[in-house]
Amino acid sequence: MAQRITIDPITRLEGHGKIEIFLDEAGDVERAFFQVPELRGFEKFCEGRPAEEMPRITPRICGVCPTAHHMASTKALDDLWKVEPPRTAKLLRELIYTAFMVEDHNLHFFFLGGPDFVVGPQAPAAERNILGVIARVGLDVAGEVIRVRKECREIIQTLGGKVIHPVCGLPGGVSRGMSEEERERFARTAQSAVAFAQFALQILDDVVLKNKEYVDLILSDTYSHRTYYMGLVDEHNRVNFYDGNVRVVGPDGKEAARFAPGEYVHYIREHVEPWSYITFPYLKSVGWKGFVDGAESGVYRVAPLARLNVADGMATPLAQQAYERMYEVLGGKPVHATLATHWARLIEALYAAERMVELLEDAEITSEHIRNVPTETPSEGVGIVEAPRGTLIHHYQTDERGILTGVNLIVATNHNAAPIAMSVEKAARGLIKGGQVSDGLLNMIEMAFRAYDPCHACATHALGKTPLVVELRAADGTLLERIERG
Amino acid sequence: MAGTRKHAPQTLVVGLGNPILTDDGVGIHVLREVAARCQREDVTFVEASAGGLRLLDTIAGYDCAIIVDAVQTRAGKPGDVYRLCLDDLRAWQTSFYSVSTHSLSLPDALALGRSLGLAVPGDDALVVIAVAVEDVLTFSEACTAAVAAAIPRAVEAVLAELIGG
Repeated sequence: MAQRITIDPITRLEGHGKIEIFLDEAGDVERAFFQVPELRGFEKFCEGRPAEEMPRITPRICGVCPTAHHMASTKALDDLWKVEPPRTAKLLRELIYTAFMVEDHNLHFFFLGGPDFVVGPQAPAAERNILGVIARVGLDVAGEVIRVRKECREIIQTLGGKVIHPVCGLPGGVSRGMSEEERERFARTAQSAVAFAQFALQILDDVVLKNKEYVDLILSDTYSHRTYYMGLVDEHNRVNFYDGNVRVVGPDGKEAARFAPGEYVHYIREHVEPWSYITFPYLKSVGWKGFVDGAESGVYRVAPLARLNVADGMATPLAQQAYERMYEVLGGKPVHATLATHWARLIEALYAAERMVELLEDAEITSEHIRNVPTETPSEGVGIVEAPRGTLIHHYQTDERGILTGVNLIVATNHNAAPIAMSVEKAARGLIKGGQVSDGLLNMIEMAFRAYDPCHACATHALGKTPLVVELRAADGTLLERIERG
Repeated sequence: MAGTRKHAPQTLVVGLGNPILTDDGVGIHVLREVAARCQREDVTFVEASAGGLRLLDTIAGYDCAIIVDAVQTRAGKPGDVYRLCLDDLRAWQTSFYSVSTHSLSLPDALALGRSLGLAVPGDDALVVIAVAVEDVLTFSEACTAAVAAAIPRAVEAVLAELIGG
């Protein structure tokens, strides 16, 4: 039997994602598996409920991206009742959503991606965390992150209606409009979010891009996969988080598919493995060929890097400049380097902030026409948004009264599940030889995992810790070594 | 402590949990009962499904905090109610290392808040009332029997903290 290395986050919720790496007899990596726990009975829980409850139920699935679920769900309801929201409602929804992207992307970069790059992947574990980042960038910057996030959250709370989970989405519109006083106040927040996003890109430049060691790391083969990419785009094929069509490009960067949300079932199929509860979506037209790269494999990736790879550009000027620069530095489109997603994330944060400014300059955003009441009989609806971590699909079926008969959700971590396993396996294979494993090596493997910022579909809590336990087992299963971190 | 108080100390009671994942919602069930029995101007009741940094966002600005949540430990049995302080939580962990944005622990989040100059409760002003649970993976709005039976005891524990100041 092969040796086994397990990266096993133990939380008090007893079921975070687990990565298991199997070594062969020579101590080299044979396979890696990515498992998530099964949350049981969601469809059953929803069946029999009115579909309008979904924008309040689904945000509870995930405590990290409630706004994304709320928005995808609301759009699914629009489609379910075949009702078009008035323009003002769309502006308000997109404003809430872009404020959320700014807030979440900044949170991610400084508290998760930052420790890897700003502090450095070889730094000791005690420094490779948010306090280490603050030590490097300074308290002022950290204070700015807190302030921008707080002000964005105020926008979401004011327009969305609740502290953590917005509740404003209705089929055909939203439940609350915006006053002129709010518009002016939020416009100031948007401007400071733009300034901060530019500043964050400057930090990336100074600390990461000017460091050849980091750039080599980003571009190394260990962290690269030639996969397909998926994301939402507007009518000009530019990144849009809130609305648009789904576009897929191949490893060569050429368009492989473009479809309206309602058509997704014709393009995406879900593969099942006996060892994992999570399904593995793949491109139907290409087919499932296993956990492998290349144009012949239907595996695709979502999230910031994927979105930029899929698009022909960014819809706002400063973000467009940043986008062009990234591809120039990294050698053209598409970029296959997984770690570049941290860079793409900051470019998206800049676009989101610029888009907030645009939306708030639109005179119609303070109009009172915020809802069109549905008149059609419901049967089926699909809503797709780009969550911070990737494409999010909500699909509902109801009877003629709007009572749910079927629910299917594909979350970002679903789309990325196969890529995550592949990324971890490849990194492990490149770094673990002859059974030799060190703490530093494990962190390098985790970097591949963390770049996807997987969301394990459970509201997480404050108690306890999320340690990683790595168990190194001999061929006969005996525990040789246990490395505990965090 | 930072600054002089110009107001009566403000207490936040947070019920943490996911109310559609069976026992995971116990913190919220407890909070609702406490809120129904306690109306004080200096106490705010909040339901939250968040952790780490997002919880810090909620706690910042209060002088005292009581957090109610579900917990799973190796030794406990469902329905046990624990009263924990920050030192108890700190004993469970060794670093600020995170694998995801939502995995920052409470002590770490508070330490971070302090280092950033946010007004967060001091160590002696924060208490966690934790209920040991059984099932957090099945979708349901009700708790399992043992956990449901623990709710009244957890409610009394929170009320005792509020009365004790």
